[in-house]
Amino acid sequence: MNFWQFMMTNRQQVLDLTLEHITLAGVSTLLAALVGIPLGILITRVPRLSKPVLGGANIIQTIPSLALFGFLLPAPWIGERAGRLAILALALYALLPLIRNTYAGIQGVDPAVVEAGRAMGLTDRQLLLQVELPLASGIIVAGVRIATVVSIGLATIAAAIGAGGLGEFIFRGLAMVNNQVILAGAIPAALLALFADFMLGRLERRLGSLRSKS
Amino acid sequence: MTIDSIRARVAQIICALLVYLLLFPSVGCERHADRIVVGSKNFTEQLILGELFAQVIEARTHLPVERRFYLAGTFICQQAILAGRIDIYPEYTGTALTAVLKQQPSGDKAEVYRRVKQGYEKQFGLIAGPPLGFDDSFAMVIRGEDARRLHLRTLSQAAAFTPQWRAGFGYEFMERPDGYKGLVASYGLRFAEAPRIMDLGLITRALREHQVDIIAGNNTDGLIPALDFFVLEDDHHYFPPYEAVAVMRGEMLKQHPQVGAALDALAGAISDEDMRRLNYAVDGEHRDAAVVVKEFLRQRGLIR
Amino acid sequence: MTASPSLGSPIERSASERPSIEFDHASFRLNGRPLLNDLVLSVKQGETLVLLGRSGSGKTTTLKLINRLLLPTTGEVRVNGIRTSDWDPIRLRRSIGYVIQDGGLFPHFTVERNIALVPRIENWPRARVEARVRELLATVGLNQDLASRYPSQLSGGQRQRVGVARALAADPPILILDEAFGALDPITRSEMQKEFRALQQRMRKAVIFVTHDLREAMLLADRIALLEEGSLIVDLPVAQFSRSEHPLVRAYEEAFSGLPDPE
Repeated sequence: MNFWQFMMTNRQQVLDLTLEHITLAGVSTLLAALVGIPLGILITRVPRLSKPVLGGANIIQTIPSLALFGFLLPAPWIGERAGRLAILALALYALLPLIRNTYAGIQGVDPAVVEAGRAMGLTDRQLLLQVELPLASGIIVAGVRIATVVSIGLATIAAAIGAGGLGEFIFRGLAMVNNQVILAGAIPAALLALFADFMLGRLERRLGSLRSKS
Repeated sequence: MTIDSIRARVAQIICALLVYLLLFPSVGCERHADRIVVGSKNFTEQLILGELFAQVIEARTHLPVERRFYLAGTFICQQAILAGRIDIYPEYTGTALTAVLKQQPSGDKAEVYRRVKQGYEKQFGLIAGPPLGFDDSFAMVIRGEDARRLHLRTLSQAAAFTPQWRAGFGYEFMERPDGYKGLVASYGLRFAEAPRIMDLGLITRALREHQVDIIAGNNTDGLIPALDFFVLEDDHHYFPPYEAVAVMRGEMLKQHPQVGAALDALAGAISDEDMRRLNYAVDGEHRDAAVVVKEFLRQRGLIR
Repeated sequence: MTASPSLGSPIERSASERPSIEFDHASFRLNGRPLLNDLVLSVKQGETLVLLGRSGSGKTTTLKLINRLLLPTTGEVRVNGIRTSDWDPIRLRRSIGYVIQDGGLFPHFTVERNIALVPRIENWPRARVEARVRELLATVGLNQDLASRYPSQLSGGQRQRVGVARALAADPPILILDEAFGALDPITRSEMQKEFRALQQRMRKAVIFVTHDLREAMLLADRIALLEEGSLIVDLPVAQFSRSEHPLVRAYEEAFSGLPDPE
């Protein structure tokens, strides 16, 4: 049977694995954003922390992904369930783009605008929420976009440690020496990444246009 | 496009994400309540067993079955069943005891099975089904002609001849604590020369062509009957048992008790000989596993 | 137009009236470099003081000492008799209107939202805010339908007017302007200067206006303070300033002579 027939015959499994994959990538990116964006804001306020924080995130990114999975395997609680482990590892990988883009986005806001805001009596919190974050939002969303695409890609490797997702098709297909099975994993994964990149890219452009309205 | 409308849109997206995440806490767990997912590892015997489970469940319960075979190993399968992504997969009692429960192995079949059954239920909520009837442990294999000529049946009997024999073993067998060293100690084997360490793929041919006289293989290897090899009985019970059982999710059995009943029909239904023949049909004769399994089940009257 | 809150009739200039802004031997050093030396200066309510000087003369530093973007290294700066270091910075800044070149408007806010910024964060009721925005648009001579536009859709002159409107929004008693009309073309600039002069005569706030343009200073000032390299050179009412024999004043006059008298 051709590839399309194969996909239709096994559509239940394709759907299952795709949803698993989305959950792995989605939860981990969300976690990374919940930690990374506030950290990025923090290091714009406390500049002496910027080097260690960015440096730390950079080191984590440098560790090969499979090695990171391996490091976390013996950890208590985390290592007991592949799902938890994968989500933690993927979230760690997504940290750097989020921290870095939040930092760069806020630093890149026109200093004259920030000073004008401060001179008018905006509190630090008001400045952050009403001026800096909105103007930095385009670049921050660019960081989310990069983090999401990276997570979708890395989640395929997560199948190697038993976390499921579309990577499972790829590994099984390799063991079976069956191209259709491999493609049943590879193609949806690629499509997911492209779709996420496209949608977030649109959001990024819309938000980026706010900066340039001056 | 005002900043307010963007804020509203972003808030909508975040809400949708949170709703999704709250409704689907464990990946895939609730989604296939109507199907049974059977997994297996990635070698022939496992595929055959997975197919056996799947077909028996299909025939006897009429529940739809999804197959997720060729999973890369014990760890992957264990993670998958714990996360609810698969409902059943074939495991070996020895592997379950040492690799999953991380306990010390023993040679007593009944004891190993009991510990596995208890441990799995208590720690993981997984149910180990009854043994299928065969043992896929290490086997010491010699040529059939030698077995007949020397009237050999057990390893203890064969021990006397070891000074005249050359042995061929795989690297892993030499290194494993429950491998070569323990075997020699248990049976007092005395090989004249050190065993040849060989690639597993070449070891069978080496035995057939008289390059070696005794090898360590798997008990259910399909080539054993095909090449007229003989498995020496492990009368000291040195090798831990690796009885095949179905490992099943407790939650699934509660929802579909008929699955447990269906698989009980396979208890003791497959002997060592049976498994060797099935393995050979797929590996040696290159027949399709699903077809081979269906034939077997019909022959034994396990399905119609 | 509401009168400024606390300081009596703006026309009287009695000696007992306390100045709105006072520099009492204030100095500012950054990393050891002196940007402002021993400044003694004051501005009363209703008065427009122009700070004149070259780039680097300390004009902007002086302004930033008023709204506490900077604190003096030695000496004191007082607003309404209270040291800037004793003021709550937020309250201080919200009672000072600040206009910079090109407006410093928030690019992601509409004109209406830019102007309404301080009233909103001061929690004025919504109706009052809306009415105030309409009033201010009229005051600075802008069409009401510009309220929903974004700064990028406005001309330079329009942006500057919005900047002034924004600074006036909460009716602060003090206004500071930093080269506010510097980026405008000559015609628009001239219009803005005239309109600002008229506005100031109506509102009588305490105004400090920073510029390097002598003609602008002559047009807008009640008094001119000339700064050079961080020090105050002269501080004179405008009529006396143009008659001064001080070499630096002469130098300025010459630099701007030969050009048409704006009056």
